[in-house]
Amino acid sequence: MRVLDYEIPDKLYYSKEHEWVRIEGKEAVVGITDYAQKQLHEIVYVEVQKVGAHIEQFQTMGTVESVKSVSDIFAPVSGKITKVNEELTESPEFLNQDPYGKGWLARVNLTDFNKDLEKLMTAQQYCDYIKGMEE
Amino acid sequence: MIKPLRKTHLHEFHKKTARMTEFASFEMPLWYKGIIPEHMAVRNSVGIFDITHMGRALITGAKSEAFLNYVTTNDVAALTPLSAHYSNMCNEQGGIKDDFVLSRLEQEKFLIVYNATNRTKDYEWLVQNAKPFDVKVEDVSDNIAMFAVQGPKAQETLQKIADLDLSKVERFKCGWTKLAGLEGFVSRTGYTGEDGFEVFVWNAPLANPTNAVKVWSAILEAGKEFGIEPCGIGARDTLRLEAGMCLYGNDIDENTTPLEAALGFVVKLKKDKFIGKDALTKQKAEGIKRKRVGLKMLEKGIPRPHYEVRKGGEKIGHVTSGTQSPVLKQGIAMAYVSIEHATEGNRVAVKIRDRLSEAQVVKFPFYDPAKYGHGRQK
Repeated sequence: MRVLDYEIPDKLYYSKEHEWVRIEGKEAVVGITDYAQKQLHEIVYVEVQKVGAHIEQFQTMGTVESVKSVSDIFAPVSGKITKVNEELTESPEFLNQDPYGKGWLARVNLTDFNKDLEKLMTAQQYCDYIKGMEE
Repeated sequence: MIKPLRKTHLHEFHKKTARMTEFASFEMPLWYKGIIPEHMAVRNSVGIFDITHMGRALITGAKSEAFLNYVTTNDVAALTPLSAHYSNMCNEQGGIKDDFVLSRLEQEKFLIVYNATNRTKDYEWLVQNAKPFDVKVEDVSDNIAMFAVQGPKAQETLQKIADLDLSKVERFKCGWTKLAGLEGFVSRTGYTGEDGFEVFVWNAPLANPTNAVKVWSAILEAGKEFGIEPCGIGARDTLRLEAGMCLYGNDIDENTTPLEAALGFVVKLKKDKFIGKDALTKQKAEGIKRKRVGLKMLEKGIPRPHYEVRKGGEKIGHVTSGTQSPVLKQGIAMAYVSIEHATEGNRVAVKIRDRLSEAQVVKFPFYDPAKYGHGRQK
């Protein structure tokens, strides 16, 4: 679905810090939302924790930098990183161009997704959240 | 109570087309299209900036040259009418009160353009120090609009709306001209490293934006064939940083001296008494302990203000400005480092979060001056 100027795919889950989660079996793919990339604008550097690192929901799992600013990326789920998107080192602009596709950040082996889910939003809930912020 | 942000004449234009931000109590455009395309438009063609937020004051009177020689560090006597120079004002300790461009309009009339951040401080400092000289200091910030037209196509763009032959106005010279039929003043100066002009719309009270908007629109129209971009303060910052120019509050302040800031070329110690002279003379004789240098990252990573600079595990200084250079596509920074490490070519490390990243001390500007900037080979 779309709200205002932002694309919000239906089948993903979302955090208040504007990260998304796509469930694929026991793993999740995570990234930052269209809203986040539009706020940051012109992303020139991305850094995510290494494969094997344990991440905790809402703890820092990386950093994203635009020309002007440095922002933390907060893990939307808890688990162990099994893969990171290495292409972002050379092409951080993928986060702007395709935040839900080529701009994915990492794959995570989930610890307890049911617990994570309590603090995540559905696409509809995230839409309402964005609308509330923009008012 | 929260003070409302100040606005320039172009506020309606900015609000419609730009991401806005607060800067020095003003609501200013951060970017329109984006920092990188705006930055590259200035390096490759032409861009226009609204810089009306800056402070402007006129200094008039028979003793205005003597007064300015006392309150600023550069040699005002060397400034002929219709020329400009970059200069500093210091406190008695030699700390920089502000940096600015001073233009001599007439033998006894000067225009000083200082930082938005320091508008009140500078005006008060000037007025306070002017008393023994019997000169008039008049804040004209709210009556004159100011734009910067910068880039290799700046002259061609501006010439279309100016009656003065701009090819005759050399770098750091100025002149009166009609701009889109209105009274204007231009100086061949800027804050980007590129050729270009700073443009003053002389009768442009904030309360009546018509004249300012007319000149702004005329410049945008004139630059259309060159792909002119309106540029925000985001690109203004990356452009000045690539050129190696200081941002007051980041790279210089009242606790840094021009000698430490590598601005010794604007300190004329042979002049008669001026504020800060004794302290600067002493510092020059004793030698500076730290110096502002350029750092170019040799690894991925973007240096930012306050990051530590290290050598052999020891802290030797800190970053004051840093970004990803749009031209070099590398991290660049200005930093103060202890003098023994300030040599060009020296390898140092910048602490970026929990990691040390290798960097090298380089000279300003960061870009190749044969390819970019006002001295580029045509």
